[in-house]
Amino acid sequence: MIVNTKWLEKYIDIPYSPEELEEHLTYIGLESKIQKSPVDKIRGVIIAEVLDVSPHPNADRLSICKVSTGFDMQDVVCGAPNVAKGQKVPLALLGTVLPNGMELKPVKIRGINSEGMICAEDELGISSDHSGIMVLDEKAPLGMELSEYLSGEGTSIDIDLTPNRPDCTSHIGVAREISILTQGELKIPEIKFKESEESTEDYIDVEIENIDGCPRYAARVIKNVKIAPSPQWLINHLKSVGIRSINNIVDASSFVLMETGQPLHTFDYRKIEGKKIVVRNAEEGELVETLDGIKRALSKDILLICDAKHPVAIAGVMGLSNSEITPETKDILIESAYFSSTTIRNGSKYLGLSTEASYRFERGVDPEGIINAVNRITDIIIELAGGKVCKGIVDKYPKKISPAEVKVRFKRINRLIGIDIEKSWVKEIFEKLGCRILKSDDESVQVLSPTWRPDLEREADYIEEVIRIYGMHKIPSAKRLQIKPSNEVNSRYDLIEKLRSILCSYGYFEVFNNSLVSEKQTQFTFKPVKPVKLRNPLSLDMAYLRTSLIPGLINTARRNINRRNCDLQIFELGFIQYFDPDSETHAMEILKFSVLITGAIEDEHWGYQIRKSDVFILKGVIEDLTHRFGIESLKFEKCKNNYFRHLLGTNINGKEFCYLGQINQEYLQSEWSIEVPIYVLDANASVLLDQAKFEIRYKPLPIYPAIERDVSILLPEKIPIEEVNQKIIREGGELLREVKFYDLYYGKNVDNGLKSITFNLVFQVADRTLKDKEVDKRMLAIHEVLKNDLNAKLR
Amino acid sequence: MNLLDRAEEVRFQFKKDLFKVKIDIQSVENFRLRYLGKKGYIPALFREFTSLSVEDKHKCGKILNQIKKESENSIDTLKQRLNSIGIDEDFFDYTLPGKLPRLGHLHPVTQTMNEICSIFREMGFGIEFGPEVETDYYNFQALNFPKNHPARDMQDTFFIGDSILLRTHTSPIQIRAMEKQKPPIRILAPGRVYRNEAISARSFCTFHQVEGLYVDENVTFCELKGTLEIFAKRYFGKDVKLRFRPSYFPFTEPSAEVDISCFICGGSGCRVCKHTGWLEILGCGMVDPNVFISVGIDPEKYTGYAFGMGPDRIAMLKYGIDDIRLFFEGDIRFLNQF
Ligand SMILES: [Zn+2]
Repeated sequence: MIVNTKWLEKYIDIPYSPEELEEHLTYIGLESKIQKSPVDKIRGVIIAEVLDVSPHPNADRLSICKVSTGFDMQDVVCGAPNVAKGQKVPLALLGTVLPNGMELKPVKIRGINSEGMICAEDELGISSDHSGIMVLDEKAPLGMELSEYLSGEGTSIDIDLTPNRPDCTSHIGVAREISILTQGELKIPEIKFKESEESTEDYIDVEIENIDGCPRYAARVIKNVKIAPSPQWLINHLKSVGIRSINNIVDASSFVLMETGQPLHTFDYRKIEGKKIVVRNAEEGELVETLDGIKRALSKDILLICDAKHPVAIAGVMGLSNSEITPETKDILIESAYFSSTTIRNGSKYLGLSTEASYRFERGVDPEGIINAVNRITDIIIELAGGKVCKGIVDKYPKKISPAEVKVRFKRINRLIGIDIEKSWVKEIFEKLGCRILKSDDESVQVLSPTWRPDLEREADYIEEVIRIYGMHKIPSAKRLQIKPSNEVNSRYDLIEKLRSILCSYGYFEVFNNSLVSEKQTQFTFKPVKPVKLRNPLSLDMAYLRTSLIPGLINTARRNINRRNCDLQIFELGFIQYFDPDSETHAMEILKFSVLITGAIEDEHWGYQIRKSDVFILKGVIEDLTHRFGIESLKFEKCKNNYFRHLLGTNINGKEFCYLGQINQEYLQSEWSIEVPIYVLDANASVLLDQAKFEIRYKPLPIYPAIERDVSILLPEKIPIEEVNQKIIREGGELLREVKFYDLYYGKNVDNGLKSITFNLVFQVADRTLKDKEVDKRMLAIHEVLKNDLNAKLR
Repeated sequence: MNLLDRAEEVRFQFKKDLFKVKIDIQSVENFRLRYLGKKGYIPALFREFTSLSVEDKHKCGKILNQIKKESENSIDTLKQRLNSIGIDEDFFDYTLPGKLPRLGHLHPVTQTMNEICSIFREMGFGIEFGPEVETDYYNFQALNFPKNHPARDMQDTFFIGDSILLRTHTSPIQIRAMEKQKPPIRILAPGRVYRNEAISARSFCTFHQVEGLYVDENVTFCELKGTLEIFAKRYFGKDVKLRFRPSYFPFTEPSAEVDISCFICGGSGCRVCKHTGWLEILGCGMVDPNVFISVGIDPEKYTGYAFGMGPDRIAMLKYGIDDIRLFFEGDIRFLNQF
């Protein structure tokens, strides 16, 4: 909503500069921003009068103009078709630099000296208009700087209106807010026109079929108007709020709209058949052509304004071309109505068409402002286009819109705000807002809301008004807070942050990826799921909710690799969604974390060797991570999945927890054009957090010495290490405290089909020093079993 | 067993001598001969080893080999130092780069959310989560967004079904918390939210929010102001000024937007604050009675406040980031900076 200060001053004295007004309005909830005017940049252009125009002797399309600035006279060559004697025009003097960068120097144009330039709007940077020179009002003072003259047109302020304030969609509405601040008197324009003998009733009848959609409809006929261009003052007013002038009748309705907030529609009366207006719902699929020339199919919820035979307007949204005002129009029908906000909003949404009118109806217009608006536009039309006003207004008001009656308790105001507000001040403010005070005592005040404030329905709404006008910035902050500490323990949040920070401590970078992905990306899962699809996606690439964090990580890896960052350790923690297999509508939502590694896992350094990513790094990550959440001895199983070359899976207490592996290289190549190996881990964070145990019991440190032994064997290469491990543990028995696998070797000195492996064993008990003999016995047993069961050879 | 004890002794002595060796060719060679030369201590141990029984060999072999390897390595290192430093035995190139510990980075928005949450947690707020796929009821109706009200235009919504959608704010968590808990209720609701808006440097289809809610008897607007003032001073610095101006959110009445004085220009006006001297940082207000009614809390007995802010936006302001999409691209050159 744009308002102009000069326009506002018609209704209220403004004792503020535009900057002060901007701030004051912002402080009462009308977030304002001064629109920077291009006019401020114009320097060295002054107002001159064209005294004489004569044709250029050497060029058909040029003319020589004698212009006066009041203190000087000059000859200027001008090429504009619209230049004429007696005009007031902007004249750029020699030496001036125009906003478009052009500098004026004395020139000879086809042999004639030109000592300046009469400017068009585009040359001044005001608009893109280059059809002719800018012509100013005939009263513009000679010799004045153009910028000074134009700034007299007021400052335009853009108000970012919240949807609860329909009353401020007009200059009078904003002026009313200013009057509350300044205590000034609101000046409502007087109505001056005289009615003729003919009665409106004889020309039009109104029938409302849907009274919920249209509780009130008023109409008047004006005969014999003369359609003409609008006068300069009206053009300027509309321009200052961003509206283009069309003709005197259409502009008059725009003016009243911007003045009062009431949308009006003007029909060419002779195109209305049967002297009748019918307000009814459209038929499903009914076709109409709106003023913008577009044919539209309607739904049955859309409200139509019709004559005896045809629709003539989509109520509250836009008129139809068949009844439009044209230069030939003689008699006009004015519509001023109250349409229900829901009806208009549905219609506007359905048609994808939002207009100045629908914007206001959606928010709620003043049901009692309708008649005033008809009278106001009548006045302006009579002034601009002449004509005869038919007597009376046809005013159908089948469903009374009553403002709310609200009881406001002073105690409640103070309790919500936290300070005591003067009762008399509160009542004064309510009156200023336009409320009628019905009753009032020491406890409370009973008010009738103004008809232009449909948002004031409840006590809470009035308390807001008190704070708003009092000034939030003047309300003190509590010095002591009464909030009591929360008693949550081990909250989900803490566990999630712990998880994040552990991953971070491993050297991994947290990334965020878009949760909205393409259909193809939803297929990357460990078992088939039904993805959740959006009805109104931004694009097909973002039409689904992600079913896995991995494609996002691969995409991020690809982006980094393309930018020559090939050593990556990244993770994301976030939700995935898919439909519950048992339900078509209920989306499962699972908190996941996924890790991706590729390339070197350390920075290159002069003194060290760097390690490359592999599956076992991720296996180590998940083992350490679960350990830190109090979960021990994960069992891994080999799994199969087409997206993976090697894949391992593991559960926690029977709950599917984590997969990790190396991504299939052909898939990386064909889908992502990635050539390097990529390893990923995908884990269900909820399972980890639910199963986490933090009951650490301290184990006393051993006081008796330990005995260390190595088991070095040659083993058939296909026997898994874990099998050897289990045998050692079993045979080591209660004396064996720890087994560590630490060497694996193939090749030189080891026969084909064998591998050389070494375990380190630590024997220790809590209550005594172990004897070598005891340990030797166990070692012997271990060697026996490995030899017999696994065909191992001692080294 | 004697051999093991002697071996340990040799190892100990070696380490002691190692520190005393002068770094010149002759001293290093002498040191080597003393331990590893044919007549040195370590070969002597091995000679003794050969006469042990098979069983004892098993026990000692590893230790002896370890000692031998250790000693060889140490002497190699000494030799390397000899080579690299030439004749100046005291030369030490301290300009060689150190080895940096390799730690990861939390996402800047995570860091911002955590900082915000920790300030409010100190004041007594707990943390609640909620689903991203929400119902119209929790996302709008219970929050006093009537059906077909222009207020719904304030939040462009992704729909999944007629009444199923992606949450446009984390306020539904407030409703869920109030359904579950009895006052006093003091929660923070952080999380990811979605808006169906064209993607640009200034807006992305998904971003984050942290909302707060406090419900008890006698919660006042003064208290809301006090709480947010503490937060702003803690987060943006103690000289920061706050500006409350009335606004409109369906679920609070009265509602306010809060600006802080621009910490880049100090309030004199710059590009970031669009020359206003103020930065819009959060929205807040007193819980609307209709919201209380929808969750079965008596609005006569209880009052409450709520506030909400966008960590993405706050991080952008704080770090001077001019394109929100950077948060979702995962470029490590970007993430490395936080
Ligand atoms: Zn600034």
